[in-house]
Amino acid sequence: LLWKESWELSKNPMASRGSPLHGPRIKLVEKARDLFAETKEHNFESKAAEEHAKLLRMQHELEVSTKQAIFVDSSISDTIRTCIVLGNHRAAMKVKTEFKVSEKRWYWLKVFALATIRDWDALEKF
Amino acid sequence: MAQIPNLDNAPINLASLREQSQKELLTILKNIRGKKCLVIDPKLSGSLSLIVQTALLKEHGVELRHLSAEPLQTECTKLVYLVSDQLATTRHISLHIHDNTSKGLQKEYYLYFVPRRSVACEQILKEEKVHDLFTIGEYPLYMVPLDEDVISFELDFAYKECLVDADTSSLWHIAKAIHRLEFSFGLIPNVRAKGKASLDVAEILDRMQTEEPVNIDNVLPDINTLILLDREVDMITPMCTQLTYEGLLDELLHVNDGAVELDASIMGAQQEGKKVKVPLNSSDKLLKETRDLNFEVVVQVLRQKATSMKQDYTDITTNNQTVSELKDFVKKLNSLPEMTRHINLAQHLSTLTSKPSFLGRLDMEHTIVESESYDISFEYIEEMIHKQEPLASVLRLLILFSVTNSGLPKRNYDYLRREILHSYGFEHMATLNNLEKAGFFRKQEMRSNWLTVKRALRLVVEDTDTANPNDISYVFSGYAPLSVRLIQQAIRSGWRPIEEILKLLPGPHFETKRGGLSRASSLESLTGGSANVDKAASGRRSVVLVVFIGGVTFAEISALRFLSSQELMEYDIIIATTKVVNGQTLLDPFVEKLS
Repeated sequence: LLWKESWELSKNPMASRGSPLHGPRIKLVEKARDLFAETKEHNFESKAAEEHAKLLRMQHELEVSTKQAIFVDSSISDTIRTCIVLGNHRAAMKVKTEFKVSEKRWYWLKVFALATIRDWDALEKF
Repeated sequence: MAQIPNLDNAPINLASLREQSQKELLTILKNIRGKKCLVIDPKLSGSLSLIVQTALLKEHGVELRHLSAEPLQTECTKLVYLVSDQLATTRHISLHIHDNTSKGLQKEYYLYFVPRRSVACEQILKEEKVHDLFTIGEYPLYMVPLDEDVISFELDFAYKECLVDADTSSLWHIAKAIHRLEFSFGLIPNVRAKGKASLDVAEILDRMQTEEPVNIDNVLPDINTLILLDREVDMITPMCTQLTYEGLLDELLHVNDGAVELDASIMGAQQEGKKVKVPLNSSDKLLKETRDLNFEVVVQVLRQKATSMKQDYTDITTNNQTVSELKDFVKKLNSLPEMTRHINLAQHLSTLTSKPSFLGRLDMEHTIVESESYDISFEYIEEMIHKQEPLASVLRLLILFSVTNSGLPKRNYDYLRREILHSYGFEHMATLNNLEKAGFFRKQEMRSNWLTVKRALRLVVEDTDTANPNDISYVFSGYAPLSVRLIQQAIRSGWRPIEEILKLLPGPHFETKRGGLSRASSLESLTGGSANVDKAASGRRSVVLVVFIGGVTFAEISALRFLSSQELMEYDIIIATTKVVNGQTLLDPFVEKLS
């Protein structure tokens, strides 16, 4: 069981990589979450899979709204950075609260992102 | 192609070993008449370049190609494939054949597996219905001498396969290689092993000896003692940044198959963007002199040499010289290219090592090894993750931190894992899983005994003099590699005196004598007393073969060379390893790649 579960999760990003259909992929990750949830000691993995599914969904929405296919498969931190670079601070904030990103990490990300676009004014303010 | 190392001064006859491999390859090629195209698995090209020169192959009517998925363009009708047992490469071959058949080309196919046939690969060929077209053979290349005292089995993935996938075929390979050495140099009478994989290798080796015995009646064996050490026993050392010249070259520029590749501009050439390959082995006298020194000292040595050369030059231009003096001067000039090469390299390294980030990292490694402050180390790693610094450097510190603490408390463990997934992507769940299975980064289950081990084996030495070292700790400017300390003990007195400490480290340990009682004289020599008998009999020092299962770093090689150069030491040390690694290359196979 343990083997099967860990394989499920490690294989699934590869299985559907590069395909425009993200629906089956999210389902796979959710299935992995359920499998992990069956045993107590895989609590952590189960939660991670849940977050992964949630992230994929949000990234998908972001790609639709921004019409740019640059979000899917980047990490949570990368997603926040991309949002700030694009000037979409509301979306960045949403990702932050959704995944309970700590203030510490948030500040690093914001500083880096603002420095990338040389938005020195915003950097000054915050 | 990298320069083939000079092996003339090796303590055992490694040159004959290389010649044998060379001859075996040429025999294979000679047996196929006429012009042929040799298609090499890219994974093998590095090791082959250390065995045979391309020119020599061309003399035998060989056209060289690298194996890839692309269709093969060649006029030759005879194709010789040289491959390792990778399923992907086998697929490439069958693609080639289908491509040729579809074009109506008739060719003769030869397939040689290195080092031995693989049932799985042949099965693929059968499924692709091309198996019958091949003449299949083996090219038994189990090891490659990298230098006078270093042998590599070139098993890049062995460690991960063993620890994570429970695939132990590489252990068979290692035992086979040692057994082949025994055929050339005699049965090794003393075996000491520490770590699970080491014991397995010793067991397989025994079985091979029963099935296919090495004759023990001939003269004294060339190699006196075999020490098998599992990398798992000491994961601390490879995670620390190496501070010897060669070690730093590997850390910062990556040494591959005994050579380092870098921008031509660094080496003082005019062309921008071009790459040059600089071979690194003991044929380069200046490198031989400096490679094992602490880098701080190397800079001083180079400066001194340059100044003395300048002095010579001024002497020449100002005074009238005799012919013999001029001759001496010209002789010295011959070393000029070596000088420029190493001054360029050292200068480049200096710019990298003087960066605050590099120094900060060294400081942190020190803090963790000393177990000075849990909280400071924890926060440092946390900040690295938040800043999304390269995952490999994060993992190195994290593993160092986890191993010295026997794992992290569950709350911290889960927190850092979550932060890693958030920062680097959820696909690294598999990476974390690999590391947990290997025991590198895990939950704390018992109290750490690192402090006891550290104290008992004197791993941290306070007043290390890097310029005139009197202890191996100079290679890390104050930290003596755990692995080498163990070997030091094993050579001097065997495992017995440090049994209590060995029990605190991962894996079982084991000690045995082989080959019957007739070898009593050489056995005693290990206690130090009658080593002179050996010496008198063979006219040279006895040899210890140290095998690192899972990789060895240049710093450890340097430390072992330092040991064998000590006056009181009665042994020459030969090092064999699955691969020469540094922290990053060691972890690479554990990091999950998506593609």
